Amino acid sequence: MKTLRLFTIAIFAAALLLSACGGAGTSQEGYLGEIKERGTLIVGTSADYPPYESVDEAGNFVGFDLDLIREVGKRLGVEVEIKDMAFDALIAAVQEKKVDVVIAAMQTSPEREEKVDFSNPYHFQKDAFLTTADSTLVLTKAMDAAGHSIGVQTGTLQEQWTIDNLVPAGTSEDQVFRYERVDQGALDVKAGRIEILFINADPAGELAEKEGLKVALVTDETVVGGQCIAMPQGETQLKAEIDRILGEMESEGLIQKLQDQWGIP
Amino acid sequence: MEFLQDLWLLIQYLLAGTGVTLGVTVIALTTGFLVGVLLATGRVYGSPALSAFTAIYSLVIRAVPVIVVIFILYFVIARFVDLSPFLSGSIALGIASSAYQSEVFRGAIISVPQGQMLAARAVGMSRIAAIRYIILPQALRLAIPPWSNEAAIVLKDSSLVYVIGVAEILRRAEYVSARTLEPFLAFGAAALIYFLLTFLTNRGLDWLERRYRLLM
Repeated sequence: MKTLRLFTIAIFAAALLLSACGGAGTSQEGYLGEIKERGTLIVGTSADYPPYESVDEAGNFVGFDLDLIREVGKRLGVEVEIKDMAFDALIAAVQEKKVDVVIAAMQTSPEREEKVDFSNPYHFQKDAFLTTADSTLVLTKAMDAAGHSIGVQTGTLQEQWTIDNLVPAGTSEDQVFRYERVDQGALDVKAGRIEILFINADPAGELAEKEGLKVALVTDETVVGGQCIAMPQGETQLKAEIDRILGEMESEGLIQKLQDQWGIP
Repeated sequence: MEFLQDLWLLIQYLLAGTGVTLGVTVIALTTGFLVGVLLATGRVYGSPALSAFTAIYSLVIRAVPVIVVIFILYFVIARFVDLSPFLSGSIALGIASSAYQSEVFRGAIISVPQGQMLAARAVGMSRIAAIRYIILPQALRLAIPPWSNEAAIVLKDSSLVYVIGVAEILRRAEYVSARTLEPFLAFGAAALIYFLLTFLTNRGLDWLERRYRLLM
């Protein structure tokens, strides 16, 4: 019994010590100071979305977003550590400061802005509607998709846009299919279970080619905000510094260079 | 032939995640086993209050999806205690498993004939000693077949820890699927590894079951 009690005390002591460590290191620069003191910027991403973020054959995290954030880290003077997790968990991870920032081709939206702060946009993307190659469906504008079964990736703005716009216009809730990853949705289009897959335009071309689908429409009508880096709320110094660095990279043409390198329009 | 070569490369890549899967599974099953045995014993032999507590614990935890337990532990509890994703994922699975395992062990304890307890008491053993030396050794043997079920379930549930960023077999398969756009190959290879792991675990438990069979 005695050893058990000692063990319990030890656990509590360890817990206290650890939480005390977590609270230390606040300086004038706030969270930014903490990151600099630590010497590491912990970056959350969801590495299943090439060309933005993926894992190469050697097991390295690669992609446009990750090259960009590594450059940001370099200019902050810190190492960059990538933490991969499910896209749905990323916002919570920033809120709980499990990661310092998130870069995951994530766009701003009012719902997300209630929970985290965003940097200035570093890239504006378009959305794409995919159908089977022999589909008779004619899509000239995004709203033409109303009334047809449609697949989206869970937790994305395409999902939100579908709920906000297509559902009131005649698509029933049962016709909206949500997938963990876009390639699963592509398989269901191919199999004829859904008529349309609605995703970010950048991976759409490669995906369509691979699965023998057709990119029926590429549009920016559905895009509400640019892709931004997410960070904890109220950390103004951190946001200012990241925005400054992004501006610097933009004016040096570095972001365009990275886009070209990764084949992102 | 090229297909087989791809598959082999893929399996090698996924095998690196197998250690993580096994680590999570072993920690979860061990935690679940220790807590589960205590809960089951408390449920059957404890005071009314203890018995009620264990019943509620088992009811609540089994009602909550495992993935929610993982999120709660990682995002809420770990606010106070700095747990790595690996540890908090493993412990969350262990907590979930402890509820299921407590029911497995409760069933096993109940199925030990009541006369055993009476006889142990009659020869002068304390209640605790009777549980420790007479009831549990028999109950644990009886629990092996249903427990192997739980072991297989936890092995596959271990893939859920990917949501908080632990790259085990399934998450690695997702990386490959996203890169190569070949989901069938990637997930097929993952399924093969899961099959082998489950097969070996169950064979090992079968052996344990035969080795410690009760001659009743």
